[in-house]
Amino acid sequence: MSFDNKKLLAVKDLATTFHTAGGDLPAVGGVSFDMESNQTIGIVGESGSGKTVLSRTIMGLQQRTNVTVTGSVLLSGFEMVGASEDEKRERWGTEVAMIFQDPMTSLNPVMKVGKQIDETLRVRLGMSKADAKARAIELLELVGIPSPQYRYDAYPGQLSGGMRQRVVIAISLACSPKLLLADEPTTGLDVTIQAQILNLLEELKERLEMSVILVTHDLGVVATRTSRIIVMYAGRIVEIGSTREVFAHHRMPYTRALLESSPKVSNASHTRLTTIPGRPPNLLKLTQGCSFAPRCSYATEKCHVDRPELEAADEPGHMFACWNPLPKTRRTVKK
Amino acid sequence: MLRYVLRRIVMLIAICFIISVGSFYLIHLLPGNITTVIEGPGASPENQAKLYKLLGLNKPIYQQYFVWIGNVLRGNLGTSFISQTSVASTIRAALPIDLEIMFLSQILAFATAIPIAMRSARKPDGWLDRTFSAGSFTLLSVPTFIVIVLMVLFISVKLGVPHTGPSSYVSFSQDWIGNLESLALPAVALAIGSFVVYYRVLRSDLIATLQEEFITMARSKGLSQRRIMWRHAFRPSSVALLGAAGVNIGGLLASGFVVQYLLNIPGLGYTLISAINMSDYLLVQGIVLVVSVGVVLINFIFDFIINIVDPRISRE
Repeated sequence: MSFDNKKLLAVKDLATTFHTAGGDLPAVGGVSFDMESNQTIGIVGESGSGKTVLSRTIMGLQQRTNVTVTGSVLLSGFEMVGASEDEKRERWGTEVAMIFQDPMTSLNPVMKVGKQIDETLRVRLGMSKADAKARAIELLELVGIPSPQYRYDAYPGQLSGGMRQRVVIAISLACSPKLLLADEPTTGLDVTIQAQILNLLEELKERLEMSVILVTHDLGVVATRTSRIIVMYAGRIVEIGSTREVFAHHRMPYTRALLESSPKVSNASHTRLTTIPGRPPNLLKLTQGCSFAPRCSYATEKCHVDRPELEAADEPGHMFACWNPLPKTRRTVKK
Repeated sequence: MLRYVLRRIVMLIAICFIISVGSFYLIHLLPGNITTVIEGPGASPENQAKLYKLLGLNKPIYQQYFVWIGNVLRGNLGTSFISQTSVASTIRAALPIDLEIMFLSQILAFATAIPIAMRSARKPDGWLDRTFSAGSFTLLSVPTFIVIVLMVLFISVKLGVPHTGPSSYVSFSQDWIGNLESLALPAVALAIGSFVVYYRVLRSDLIATLQEEFITMARSKGLSQRRIMWRHAFRPSSVALLGAAGVNIGGLLASGFVVQYLLNIPGLGYTLISAINMSDYLLVQGIVLVVSVGVVLINFIFDFIINIVDPRISRE
């Protein structure tokens, strides 16, 4: 096994298939990308594009029944795909941690939040009860919770959504993971709280020298906070590249459609947002062709029968999957 | 939390009052004249009238109630006309047997239902889950009195285990091993019914809880399966279990009575049934009162435990 110190994460041909009553559902189909230390990358796409499944598969958190995972996920050189629960458990929390989407459901409702933090410290780091409590209060303070020594004894139901998400972040940071998977960390929160949480994540990432994968459907979230973006559609990567390049010189029509459907400050008020017509495909009935073809205004005969593979664009590392890419224009896109 | 408890205590007192009125009125609902029962059918009308007055039955009914409840609160439930013994002391002698049977059966039921439900829920549709889910249905449909008869047949008669057959009750102070033996069959018979209820309730709640996001979150923290099951899944899943236990124990008293009667175990159930047969009204009244208040208290205690287990309930 080659061990590359710089490569924190190497995902190769990763595919996750759920075996459902309606047939096999390829939620993630052949995803490959690399990630270096101290990077923040964004995974974007509509609901149902496989972002959440992808992030859970990277972590190895998928349920054990009715799922098949193929391909490879090398996390600091360790193969997560096919690893036993015990082997993965050793890495969860310490190597890789996850922030869940909905802070209303991701905390245990009948356990004090402090206990949910110091449990990790005691079980994983072998801290004493008193040390763990002190550290838990420190962590609560780190994520910006006022009067942490009192909040330590609060139940999740006594905290607001934003507070709860801060607690979730504190839990995920407890064992100083190298990689943090943030799965739509702000979707369930108010807009003002969203910015706070995202800024907090960014700040913590710098301070604790972590790498972050930010999964979101909101391009505004990734625009300024990530160095690379992965655009997903129907379980596959359709465009990948540096954030600047993807925003400015995207080639895949889906990426453009996504960009056009998110609101911009520069727009005049009451501007109607462009929507992407149709809905993401039923993954049980995928065709041979490009999954986006039915909704794409550029689609040709070929798009419906033959699936495009990722091909390199101008800038190194920028790739897209499209038979009829958008022309290379030097447009300036306001962020 | 404190306010919640105070509110529950006020309600508890109200319910106890209603029970006391009910069990007091029970005697007045009975047909016939109580003096005939006491003095026999041949009693002269003058004697009957005298006794009527002596018992205070000529006073208005609410006055009678206050006199009676005053005595009850001081621990005096009256003296049986039939056996001429204090009702309170009769109950005091019989009650520990009921409590012991109840205690043993519940310990058995919880000690088996919880670990088996935990294992079942971890692998729903696994062999263990299938076996117990199907098996518990079968057990649920067999009445306790059949179970007792079968157990007596096999354990007492065929295997000859001492003190297990009918009429072989041994008191705890006499011989504690013999005592346990003599209460083993009723405890097991009652435990079977409770096991089925607890197992099914806990299993289905656990399966639902294990689908929750916070369980995935707990996994992602790198906690062991065992810790996740006991520390994270069990507590939020046990609310319905505790509620079921509170209700079940009330029902269990009744099946306990049947079992006591079948095995001639001199607990409250047995005493109650004999009292009814002998028209010992005061004893019936006393037992009904004690048992009803007991059931209410048990439910109160379980409500309280549920609140500790799930702090969300009292916050609403």
